[in-house]
Amino acid sequence: MAALVGLRACFSALQLSSPSLLHSSFKLCTVPLSRRTFAAEAKKTYSRDKPHVNIGTIGHVDHGKTTLTAAITKVLSDAGGAHYKKYEDIDNAPEEKARGITINASHVEYTTANRHYAHTDCPGHADYVKNMITGTAQMDGCILVVAATDGQMPQTREHLLLARQIGVEHVVVFINKADAVEDKEMLDLVEIEIRELLTEFGYDGENTPVVIGSALCALENKEPDLGLNAVMKLLETVDNYIPLPKRELEKPFLLPIEGVYSIPGRGTVVTGTLERGVIKKGDDCEFLGHNRNFKSVVTGVEMFHKSLERAEAGDNLGALVRGLKREDVRRGMVMCKPGSIFPHQKVKAQVYILSKEEGGRHKPFINNFMPVMFSLTWDMACRITLPSEKEMVMPGEDTSLTLTLRQPMVLEKGQRFTLRDGNKTIGTGLVTDILTMTEDDKCNWG
Amino acid sequence: MFLSFIFRAVTRDAAKVSLLQHGQSLHTGAQLMAAEKALLMKLRKSTGYTFMNCKKALERFDNDIAQAETWLHEQAQKEGWNKANKLEGRKAKEGLIGLFVGDKAAVMVEVNCETDFVARNEKFQHLVKDVALATLAHHQNKTQSQAGYVKNVLAGDELSKLKVGEGSSLADQVALAIGRLGENMSVKRAVAVGVPAEWHIGSYVHGDVSGQTDVAMGRYGALVVFHGGNEGEQKTLGRKLGQHIVGEAPLSLGNMDDLPCGESETRLLPQTFLGDPSRTVAQFLRGQQARVLDFVRFQCGETTGEEAE
Repeated sequence: MAALVGLRACFSALQLSSPSLLHSSFKLCTVPLSRRTFAAEAKKTYSRDKPHVNIGTIGHVDHGKTTLTAAITKVLSDAGGAHYKKYEDIDNAPEEKARGITINASHVEYTTANRHYAHTDCPGHADYVKNMITGTAQMDGCILVVAATDGQMPQTREHLLLARQIGVEHVVVFINKADAVEDKEMLDLVEIEIRELLTEFGYDGENTPVVIGSALCALENKEPDLGLNAVMKLLETVDNYIPLPKRELEKPFLLPIEGVYSIPGRGTVVTGTLERGVIKKGDDCEFLGHNRNFKSVVTGVEMFHKSLERAEAGDNLGALVRGLKREDVRRGMVMCKPGSIFPHQKVKAQVYILSKEEGGRHKPFINNFMPVMFSLTWDMACRITLPSEKEMVMPGEDTSLTLTLRQPMVLEKGQRFTLRDGNKTIGTGLVTDILTMTEDDKCNWG
Repeated sequence: MFLSFIFRAVTRDAAKVSLLQHGQSLHTGAQLMAAEKALLMKLRKSTGYTFMNCKKALERFDNDIAQAETWLHEQAQKEGWNKANKLEGRKAKEGLIGLFVGDKAAVMVEVNCETDFVARNEKFQHLVKDVALATLAHHQNKTQSQAGYVKNVLAGDELSKLKVGEGSSLADQVALAIGRLGENMSVKRAVAVGVPAEWHIGSYVHGDVSGQTDVAMGRYGALVVFHGGNEGEQKTLGRKLGQHIVGEAPLSLGNMDDLPCGESETRLLPQTFLGDPSRTVAQFLRGQQARVLDFVRFQCGETTGEEAE
C-alpha cells in the first residue's frame, strides 16, 4: 500500500504541470494503465495467499545481523519458503552501491508457514528513519540481535531509541553466537540484562520473547539445537508475537478524486483509486477539501465500464453520486465515509530532505521556507516552521517540522506527502501530528 | 586458544578447591554459581566490559571484584589495540565534528566511526571531546611565543601522537573506545586557529548532538575568522557566517568586489547570503562593517583533497 501511495504522490507531482482540460484525458489513461501493469506484475511474482509483514533486524555491526538473515533464508529454503541468500549477497547490493544512491537497505523476502515477510537491514540510524518516512520499509516489528559473547553494547541504547522513534512496538530478541559461550549461565545473564534494558526503554521487557541460538551453526549445519531449531523457533516466535498490521480493507473508505465527469442522462461520476476501505452501491459519502464540504449517496460503482457490487482498496474506480454537479467537485478533494476524516491546515511532520545526488536541491533551507506540498491528489502551498533548536536543514537530513497550509486540505496522522519547490522535489514526509491553527499562523500569503 | 582453555579450567578448579579447603560452610555447587553470577552482573554493570572478560577477570582473581576491575581496565587497552588492528580497514564514514572555541583560539576536529548509532553514543562523544581538547592544548603549547594569526592543520597520524592529559596518547584513547564500542574509528583531521586580540572567531555546528559538554558536536562544522562587526554582536555575526558556510559550502574566499556568477558560485563573498537572499555575503559584511579573513568547513565523512589525489 505504501508503494501505491508513493506511486500516487509521484504521479500527482508529474501531472501538476498540466492543468488544462486538454490534458485531462491523457491523465485519465496514463494513470490507470500504469497502475494496472503494476498490479499484474505483482501477481506474477508472488501469490498473495499469506498476510504480509515487514520486519527488520537491528543490532551492533559485529553481532551477526547479516549472518542471521542468511541463516533464515537457508533454513526456510529447505522448506521451500525462500531463496537461500549467502552472506555476501545480502551484505552488498552491488547495483545500489555502484550508483551510490537510493536507500541503503538490503531487502530479503521469505515465507513461513503462516506469513510472508519482507526483511530489511540498514547500516545506520539515518537510513532507518529515511525508510520510515519514505515508506519503503515501514517495520511492523523487529529482531534485536545481540551476541552472547559481548552482551549488549553501549550503542544498543541507541538501537532501542531508534526502534521507539520509528514506531516499532514489537521487538523480538535473538541472542546470537551461543555456540561461542561454553557456560550456559552466561546466556541467562545476557538475557536478564537485555530484558532490563528493554523495560528501561518502555518495552515489555518481562514478556518480550528471547530466542537463544547461533546463526552460524544454522548456516554450517552444526549443532541443530542452537542452529536450525533456534532459527525455526525464532521464526515461530516472530509469527506469533508480531501482530498483523491492520488491513486497509477494514478501515472506512477514502477515495482521493482524480477526475470528475458528467455523463449525459446519468449524472456525475468521480474517478480515482480507492485508497482504503470498501465502497458499495448505496453507501453514504462525504466530499471534503478545497474549503468545500457536503454529503451525498453513492448510486453506482464502476470499474472498466462494468458496474460493480463493491470496490476494494487499490481498485481504480468511477463512482456515480446522487445529485452531484460537475462544478461541485474538483481534483484534489476526497470522497470518504462521512465523519471519518477531516481537513486540516497545520500539521507536524517528519520529513526527509533529498540530497543533491538523489535529485534534491544542493542548498539548505531555513525557517519560513515556502514549498508546495503534494499528497493524495491535491497540492497546496505551505510554510515551514522549524523546531526551535534547529536553524536550518541540510540536504540529506531528516528532521521534524511544522507545516502550515494556505488552505485546509484532507490530512491525517500517518499520511505521506512530497514537498517540491519550482521544478525540484525537495523531500518526502510523514504526518506525525495534527495541530490547531493559532492567530499567528494566519500569515499573509502575498 | 587450547592453552588458554586449560589455563581457565585450571584456575576455575583451583578456585573451587581453595574455597572447599577454607570450607567454613557447606558450599554446594549451585550456591557458588549464584554468588558468582551476582558478582559477574555487578562487575559488568559497573565497568561495562563484555561478559566474557568480566568472567575471565573474576575467575582469575578468585571473585575479588576490586582486583578484577583493575585488571579489566589494564586489559581494555590491550584488547582495544587488538580489536583496532582487527577492524582496521573497515570503512568508517560516519562520526562527528567536534568544535571548541576558547579565548582567541578555536579547534575543530573530525572523528569517524562506522555507524551513526555509535556517533550518538556518549562514549564516542567523550572521545571527540578528548581529541578536541588535546588538539587545543597542543596548539597552545606550540604557539605560545607566536603572535598574530596562526592556523594549524593536522592530519590523522600527527594527531594520534598527541597526548591526552598525562601519559596516554590519542591513539591509545581511540583504541580504548574501539574496544568498548566494537567499531572501527579514526581521528581524521583537525584544525586549530589562534587570532590576535582585535580579531574574532565565529563558529557554527550543524545538527548539534551533545548538549551537555562544552565541545559542540555535529555532522557539519565551520570556523570563520573575521574582524570588525558591531560591538557585542560579534558572536551572532560569527554564527550567521558559520551557518552560511556550512549551508552553501564555499570553496574559496573571493574578493569583496567580485560579481556573483549564478547558483553555482563557490567563492564565499559573492554568494547569496543564506540569512537574507536579497544580498550577497560581501554586501551583508559591508552593512556590518566586518571583513572575513579566513574560514574552514568540515563535513563529516567527506573526502579531503589529499585523499582524492
